[in-house]
Order: sequence, then C-alpha cells, then structure tokens
Amino acid sequence: MPELEHKMHIGDLSLFYDGFKALEDINMKVYCRRITALIGPSGCGKSSLLRCLNRMNDLVEGARVEGRIELDGEDIYAVGCDLTHLRRRVGMVFQKPNPFPMSIFDNVAYGPRLEGRKGRGDLEEIVERSLRRAALWDEVKDKLKQSALALSGGQQQRLCIARVLAVQPEVILLDEPCSALDPISTQRIEDLLAELKDSYTIVIVTHNMQQAARVSDFTAFLTIENQGEPGRLVEYGETEEIFTRPRDPRTENYITGRFG
Amino acid sequence: MNPKTADRLASAVLWMLGGITLAALIFVVAQILIRGLATALNPSFFLGRPRAFQEGGGVLPMLVSSIYLAVWTLVIALPVSLGAAIYLAEFARTGSKAAAAVRFCADSLASLPSIVFGLFGMTFFVIYLRWGTCLLAGACTLALLNLPVLMRSAEESMRAVPATYREASLGLGAGRWRTVRQVVIPSAMPGILAGTVLTVGRILGESASLIFVMMLVTRKTPSFNPLSNAAPLASNIWYTQTEAIIPDYRRVVDGGAALLLLLVLAVNLAARSLGKAYSRRKGVKTANA
Amino acid sequence: MRKRKTKADDPMARAVMLICSSVCVLGIALIFIFIIRESLPAFRELGLANLFGSQWSPNVSEPVAGKYGMLAFINGTVLTTLGGLLLGAPLGICTAIFLDQVAPRWAAKVIHRGIELLAGIPSVVIGWFGLTLLVPFLAKVSGTGGDGILAASIVLGIMTLPTITFLSLEALRSLPREYREASLALGATRWQTIRRVLVPAARRGILVSVILGMGRAIGETMAVQMVIGNARQAAWGPFQRTSTLPSRIITDMGESSGLFRSALFAQGLVLLVLAMLLILAIRLVNREKESAR
Repeated sequence: MPELEHKMHIGDLSLFYDGFKALEDINMKVYCRRITALIGPSGCGKSSLLRCLNRMNDLVEGARVEGRIELDGEDIYAVGCDLTHLRRRVGMVFQKPNPFPMSIFDNVAYGPRLEGRKGRGDLEEIVERSLRRAALWDEVKDKLKQSALALSGGQQQRLCIARVLAVQPEVILLDEPCSALDPISTQRIEDLLAELKDSYTIVIVTHNMQQAARVSDFTAFLTIENQGEPGRLVEYGETEEIFTRPRDPRTENYITGRFG
Repeated sequence: MNPKTADRLASAVLWMLGGITLAALIFVVAQILIRGLATALNPSFFLGRPRAFQEGGGVLPMLVSSIYLAVWTLVIALPVSLGAAIYLAEFARTGSKAAAAVRFCADSLASLPSIVFGLFGMTFFVIYLRWGTCLLAGACTLALLNLPVLMRSAEESMRAVPATYREASLGLGAGRWRTVRQVVIPSAMPGILAGTVLTVGRILGESASLIFVMMLVTRKTPSFNPLSNAAPLASNIWYTQTEAIIPDYRRVVDGGAALLLLLVLAVNLAARSLGKAYSRRKGVKTANA
Repeated sequence: MRKRKTKADDPMARAVMLICSSVCVLGIALIFIFIIRESLPAFRELGLANLFGSQWSPNVSEPVAGKYGMLAFINGTVLTTLGGLLLGAPLGICTAIFLDQVAPRWAAKVIHRGIELLAGIPSVVIGWFGLTLLVPFLAKVSGTGGDGILAASIVLGIMTLPTITFLSLEALRSLPREYREASLALGATRWQTIRRVLVPAARRGILVSVILGMGRAIGETMAVQMVIGNARQAAWGPFQRTSTLPSRIITDMGESSGLFRSALFAQGLVLLVLAMLLILAIRLVNREKESAR
C-alpha cells in the first residue's frame, strides 16, 4: 500500500441491527482525495458500511456499532461527537435522487442556510459555484426558481451532488448513485466524480463492477459466506490489483462473475 | 438561537403538547366515568324504567331504543352502501363521470352538519311522507348520514382484495358479478364489518339529527315498533338535562353519559379487534398466495 | 357448454348497483330541495334585510316583533369556530408532528389510541362535561357565569382536535422518507428538518385538515348548545353568552311554527351553503396540489 494520507480509518468495526450482526471486524483506510469503491454481492453490507461513515445508521432503531471509525484521527462514534457537524464534513448522495420539493435554488441553498447564511448575494454565489462544480449550472441557470422535481433523473442526481457540495464537505459518500439512471447520465456522473476527486475524498458503493473498475483508485470487496452471517471485508487494495490480480479466490469468483 | 438549542427546545415543547393532548383526553374520560360509572353499571339504572317526577329512574327504554335504532339504520344503510361501493370499486370504469358524480355526492354528504340531516329528516320523512315522528324516520335519516362512511369503508375493503383473486375466478369462467359475490365480498367482509361496527358507535352517539325526527318524550316501556316514538339514549340525555324535571336529573344524566361512553368504547374496541383480525388474515393470505 | 358472459352480465345486478349509487345523488339533491323549500317562505316574506339583520325576536308578544335576523348567530358561529380552531389547530398540528417525528413507538401508539377514543365521544357527553366541569371552572376563574364564547371555543377545540391531528398526521406520513434522510445527511437537526422540509412539503394536507376541522366546528350542535348560553344577541367577549346557527336551531325549533320555523330553516340553509363552500375549498386546494407536482 503506498504511503498516502488517510482521511478515515475504520478499525475493528462491527455493526448490529437489533442483535443481528450485519458487519464483522471491518478494517480499512480511506485515502485522501482518492475514490474508494465498495463492491460485493447483494446483502453483503456495503451500504450499511457506507452509512456508518456518516452515522446515518443511527436513524435505524436498534442499530449498534462496535469498534472505531476515525475521521482525521478522531473517532466519530466517540461520546460527544457533533452529528450535524460530522454530516457536513461527510456528505452523502443517495441511490434514488431525492431533491426536496422546492426550487432548484432552495435545494442547493438548503445546507448553507442551515449554517446560518442568509445574504442573497452570498447564497447566489454558493449556489452557482456548487452547480458549476456538479456540471449542472449551464442546464439550470435560467430556471433556478423552478421546482427541482421537474428535472430529469440524471439532473436530479447531479442536483443532489451540488446540494452536498454546497456545504463544502471533505468526504463524499455515494450509495449506488447511478443505479436508477440511464447510461448517459451514468457516464456524466462518473466523469464528474473523476473531476471531484481532486478536492474531495470519495467513497462509492456500486454493484456495477465495470463502474468500480473505471472510476475508483481503491476497491474493497465484501461478502457474506452464508445466509445469516455478517458481511466481512475479504480484500482491499488498489483497483488495478484487485481486478487483475486478486489474491483471494472469493474475490476472483465475484469479479469473473461466477457468483453474485 | 443555536440550532442545537432550538432542536432541544422544540423537542421539549412537542413532548409537552403531545402530553397535554393525552392529558386532556384522560381528564375528560375520567371525569365522565368518575361521576357516572357507579350509576351506569347499576342494573336498576340500565335495566330500570324512567320515572317522571321521582328519583331513581333508569334508562332501559332509551337504551333499547338506541340499539334498535342502530339495527334499523344498518338494515337500511348496509345494502345501499354495499351496492354503491360494489359499483364504485368493481364496475365503474376509471374516469367515469357517473362514478365521479356519485363520489362527489358522497363526499358532500359526509361533510354536512348533522343538524342539516335533522332538518331534512323532519321535513321529508316526518312531514312530507307523513310518517310522523318515529324510529323509522330516525333510521332513514341516520342511514343517509352514515351512507358515505359505510360506502368508503366497503369500497376500501374491496379494493384491498388482491387482483389475483378476481383473475383466478374470472379465469375459471365465472362472470364479473359472480366473482364479486363469491370472491370479492367474502374476502372484504372483515373490513366491511369493521366499518359497520364503527358506524354503530357513531349512531349511538348521534343526537342533533334525531331531535326533530323522533319525539323526545321519555317512554315508559321499551318498544320494538319502528313506527313508535322512542327517544334514544343520547338525545334523552340532552333532553333530561335541558328540562331537568326529575329531582335527580344530574344523577341520571351522569349515568347516561357514562353508559353511552362505555358503549362507544366497547364498540370501538370491537371494531379495532375486527380490524386486527382482518389484517392478520390478510397477512396470512398473502403469505400463502 | 359454458355460457359466455358478456360485459353486461346480469343486468339486474347492474341496475341494483346503479340504484344504490344514485341514493347518494338523490339524497343530496333532496336535502337541498327540501331545505330550500322550507326556507322559501322566510325569504319571500321577510326579505334578506330582516333575515340577515341583527335582531332576533320571533315571538309576537315582544315589543319589537317579527324580526328573524340571524346575523348574531352567524357572528356566534364565526367567533366560536375561530376560537375552536385557534385552540385545536396548533395543538393538533403539533401533536401530529410529535407523533410522526418525535414520539417513540410506545408513546405514539398510546396517544394515537387516545385521540381515536376522543374522536368517538358523543357530542352530548362532551357538552355535559363542558356544562358540569368547564363552565363552573370558568365561572370561578372569571367571576362570570362561565358559559359563553370561550367555553364553546374550548369545547370545539376538543372536538376538532382529532380531525386535525389525524389528517395532518396522514399528510406527514405520506411524505417520502427520503426527504428526512436527505435533510439529516446535510447536517440538519431534527427540528430544522421538520420546520424547513417536512411541514412545508405537507402544508396542503395540513391545510385541508384545518378546513375539515372548521367544517366540523361550524356544524357542531349539541356540545356548543350546552355551554354557550343561548342568548339572542351577538356577543364579542369570551364570557358573554350568545348562540351559533346550529344551537339556535335546536333551541328554538321545538316551539316554532310557520314563518318562525321557516326562518330557522333559512339558518339551516346558510349552514348547508357554508358546508358546500368548504368542500369546494378543499377541492381547490387538492387540485392545486395535483398541478404543483
């Protein structure tokens, strides 16, 4: 593993839903300004793992975590961790685009307004900047006041990305962001991620192996042995290595399509 | 204000308001029961005859009248509501203007004040049709009042029947009407029953629409003649406290109110357990399907 | 050989169904026809100025006889409805928010059941509670008779609470869960999410719940009649006695005849028209909701 700075460190992480163990002993580092992909068969817990990174699992009744997740060296599961602050530093884009039933402008301005920003000029600048960064500005600059729900699926997803960018996160989590989109929109988002990599640390869950191979720098493969067992991290490394010279037979099986 | 503080404050206020709502309810129910429960549960009360100017009267004729009224109302309203609901749920084409008209009229009926039904009942059944004030007129009035509710619950129950049931029946060569009669309605029955039981509760509590349609004269003995006058319990409570001619009218009204409350409670519990049995049955059915 | 059933299979069944369905249409038509019919004499012979005037003295034995003005009662209806909504709507909406977003499951179940129970309590029972507990309490607190507009408003607040709570709750529950997730993931607190995303998104449903609560309050008869004092003049103060349209009708109908009765029917017609206006208002709100999507 190259000597890179790591942004997040997952240490001995186990996740329980009401007593049922969903993840067991996950250990990995998420490197700064790189794209890390989480792949694996359905039900292996990759989305659950992603949701641990910004503590969205706290919303599930009965969810419990053992182990540590460090962001810049500090455990986010420590008592007293400020959740709202964490979620601004670690933003999330969901599988199904979920813009609010408001105007495009209000959607992107939502985050900054939470932080207390009010000035019209201030907000306009942030909105434009975020929409440009999300490669959506040219398409919507004349209709910022229109409802966000009128946009196409691909545009809505880029709007969600812009919304996250507006709070200036350090890490961006994406949970199968393209699975509800057509191939062209998918391509645009993949290109976008490649650009965003320069400034943000990105973790993406995807069930599409080709996407993982195309887009990511590092890949983590998770799987469950049998029904009812927790998900485990089988192999983690540079994407090229994982896809061309996997060390674990299970990884190889998955990648060559023998199962999952 | 710091968002975190605002959040904590808002949570506290919401908890408090939720608590106030619950407390208000508990207070009202408790007060009614405290004052009237002893009377209501005393057999000489709910099985006793009313007394004109003396103490110690009971409410048996009124109680009988209430229950009898509910029976007659349902006898009239159930078939009609079922017929209309079958039409809306199974036979009306989507976008049909006739169905839209029926729905609009049902919605409108559902929103009218009950006293308007009372006025109508009086002028139509009692005077125009010359039935005079009687239980039948009251039953017809209440049937009209509760028609929308029964229709809605029947329609929803029928719509909840899985399409696969209908398809199976039609595929075996049964006609649409036969399918509805032998497959859809039996499956929807628990839901329809639950709606019916709920309506019984509403009928028991109804008074504004009946005051002019059924005489308020307190009967001495229970009657089972639909053409007779018989004040039901809820109307009688109001009448008793308005006229206040019996010396212990407070006791009678307290007891009547508590009795009515208990009846409505029992009815709602019955409706709820029917509803639960329905969803349990439905759950089992879909698991097996 | 199985007989092939055509679309109109069993035409008699179809006829029966249509008859049943038309009962609704017939019912509403008859209600309008007969109430208008009964109130026509009043409109014809008394005229609008009298009917909508502020003097109500129908009995011949009084000094200023022959006045059937319902203005005072319209005033009473308006004030008590507003009062009831002022009490019931904020409490109902906040309770709905509480049940949907804040309450743990056990608390939500208890309160939900409780409000269902409240909804089922008959009007006369609430009226009796008002008369025997609320009015004496208000009398002690204010030094007046205790009955009047405030008592009626409190009673109406209690009665509209379940309607507003349940319908607002439905409006909130019908929102996609993703809104809440997206908001929290952007670092909002729960209250910020409720205030900035959920309530605005559910505002039309909440509005409909309030309009329906208003409809309920306007038509409420027995409970109001027992605590409002049934005075004939208009009133403005919280402890002043007055009447509402329904309470007047039920108080006076028994002794009325001829023109007097017709005037009461005219009040009933006003109630009918008000109810239909509210229905139309709700349809407008819902149609707007559809086109906003």
